[in-house]
Amino acid sequence: MNWLTRIVFSALALFAADAALAQTAQEIVAATDRVRNPDQPFRSVLTLTEYVGGKERDHDVLAVYSKVDPTSGQFRNLVQYLEPARDAGKRVLLDGHSLWFFDPDSKVSVRISPQQRLIGQAAVGDILTVNLSIDYTASMVGVEAIDDAARKSRQCWHLELKAANDLATYSRVEYWVEQGSFYPVKGKFYSDSGRLLKIVYFRNFSQRLGSIRPVEQIIIDAVDTSLATTAAFGESAFRDVPEGWFQRDYLPRLQIK
Amino acid sequence: MRAWGWPALLLAAALGWAVARADEPPGENRDLDLIPKAAQTPQAAAPEAPAPAGTTRKLYLENAFTQSWTRDGLLVPLPPPRPSAWQERLLLDVRDEWRVGSNVGLTYSGRLNLRAEDGLDFPSHQNVTNDLREAYASWEPFERTFVDAGRINLKSGVALGFNPTDFFKTRAVVEPLSVDPVVLREDRLGTLMARVQRIWAGGSFTAAYAPEVASISPIYNDSNLHSFDPMFDRTNAQDRFLLKGSVDLGSSLSPELLAYHDNGRTRWGLNLTESVGQSVVAYAEWSGGRRSSLMDEALSFGRASGTLPAGAPSVLPSDSRQHFRNELAAGASYTPSETKITFNLEYHFNEAAFSGRDWNNWFLAGTGTRRGSPVAGQLWYIRGYAADQQEPVGRNSIFLRADWVDAFVPKLELTGFVDTDVVDGSARLQVTADYYLSDHWTIGGLVLAELGARRSDFGSLAQGGSVLAKVARYF
Repeated sequence: MNWLTRIVFSALALFAADAALAQTAQEIVAATDRVRNPDQPFRSVLTLTEYVGGKERDHDVLAVYSKVDPTSGQFRNLVQYLEPARDAGKRVLLDGHSLWFFDPDSKVSVRISPQQRLIGQAAVGDILTVNLSIDYTASMVGVEAIDDAARKSRQCWHLELKAANDLATYSRVEYWVEQGSFYPVKGKFYSDSGRLLKIVYFRNFSQRLGSIRPVEQIIIDAVDTSLATTAAFGESAFRDVPEGWFQRDYLPRLQIK
Repeated sequence: MRAWGWPALLLAAALGWAVARADEPPGENRDLDLIPKAAQTPQAAAPEAPAPAGTTRKLYLENAFTQSWTRDGLLVPLPPPRPSAWQERLLLDVRDEWRVGSNVGLTYSGRLNLRAEDGLDFPSHQNVTNDLREAYASWEPFERTFVDAGRINLKSGVALGFNPTDFFKTRAVVEPLSVDPVVLREDRLGTLMARVQRIWAGGSFTAAYAPEVASISPIYNDSNLHSFDPMFDRTNAQDRFLLKGSVDLGSSLSPELLAYHDNGRTRWGLNLTESVGQSVVAYAEWSGGRRSSLMDEALSFGRASGTLPAGAPSVLPSDSRQHFRNELAAGASYTPSETKITFNLEYHFNEAAFSGRDWNNWFLAGTGTRRGSPVAGQLWYIRGYAADQQEPVGRNSIFLRADWVDAFVPKLELTGFVDTDVVDGSARLQVTADYYLSDHWTIGGLVLAELGARRSDFGSLAQGGSVLAKVARYF
């Protein structure tokens, strides 16, 4: 690298730093939330595929209703299992502090914690729609070029997110967001003890729910790296959801239609 | 260049080096090697279209073989017949819901059993039994206001091991393949009732009335079950009323209040849950009301159903007066963040059940009696009644349950629980393994052991334990 290149690089770095200052870390995360999630209630079909030792092992298909709580700004989610056959009809409700699981076999709604595994490698908190800017406080680490899931280099803001309330599933998150597009590229999720638990790549940016959004996530289990899950959004449509649906007693009544 | 220009340029050059180094984080891109090769190609984006109709149908065929072992030398001999040593069962389990128009639905849930067992004649009508768990119609006359009528499994309660507020649990469990309380909630008959439910953004309210449509009947055992009989005598032998409501207080606490009335007595109930961080959910379930002791209720039921002579005196000292008595289950679930195990630890209190003194009297009265004697018969009837009512016999117990997904190897789920009587330290222990061969096939088994001294709650039971092997096909 000759001295002229370094000067140009330095100028670009200063420009990038200046741009970052103009856009606070929290604003970047909020803008990325808007890329990931629409601002209207919607329903989607989510296909989760598990991989063990590099081989596809299992898959689950879920129908998901999501709607923002106007009080908190956070999403509430209603989930119904469509596949596999042995799990068909099971339902999950996430509403702020409350996460309820309904099993039609027992006909009882049981309150569960976000860490509880209901779907393969992914904790419930991993696959439901959330606005990270609500539950985390972001700070800027720097500007980096990293490869996305397709091994294409992306110039990213490297952000650090710390849990801002007890609704946050993870204690700390490292988050890479592409400059300019605000596309999420990668996330690393840590436990209270600081242990890396999961690595998530966002990919397959396509038209979905009125905008270009990441349609698929790859969730790598960082504790046992032979395990991975892909979560792919399929059929999606805007659909209003009545407030009363977000009551645990509505779970047995939920009909995907 | 001005005097300050060179230092600024040097600073910028230094920054350039730093940025150039930071620009190529050597470790980050290594994470890409962790993506499975099979997952490297993105799935094709699906077209935007309405989501498919969700199915609530569940249909599976299961074959289960159970081998049990019994204890000899019981302090209180069990009246005949002896518990069966083995049972072979093939069952077809169906649960389905249909929409009839935009605001009417039908629900059916049932299990058809083909069974053979030690001591059961073959062929006989008892080789075929059908459990009609639910059959009811739902109507939504106004948005989120529901009217249901038919046989309905109305369940309440937030605990796993013991549910004081699950008022319709009594006499409803039929021939379970597992004694896990979670499974017992699945294998039970609903109650014929009319139910109205209103759900709104701030909570919900439910009112149910279950009419008396049959006479009281003796406690069933596996040798006198009906083949195709809804057995309303188990669920609708008296008028029953339930009111319950939950309120969204805007906090994580989720209270539910209940009032239940039958047979001239009213019981009150409360369910509370609270999230504690990301890994813990604490909960408590309480009910209270005036009632007799479990022992006295059992004897009254035995006389009323004709199992015990009408004038048969109690062989145990008992207090037939009604008092306000409490039932409580309090505990928490815990899922460590780096595991796939969920633990539930609960304390159970049943004030109407046996105290230490009651246990002493039970063993004192029964020790040395002959098998088949009226005294032994009455003593065991009390315990059979408690099981039929889904109530613990001991007053204080500790319940620990664990559910481990992907235990040791992927697709293997282990579930185990231990229910310990605090007074004598005896315990019921069960471990269940399910291995998901595919989306449609599951194989599994369980081991059950009743542990304790001969003079203890679980150690005095005739059945010492059992093993079960099963295979299930889901459709």
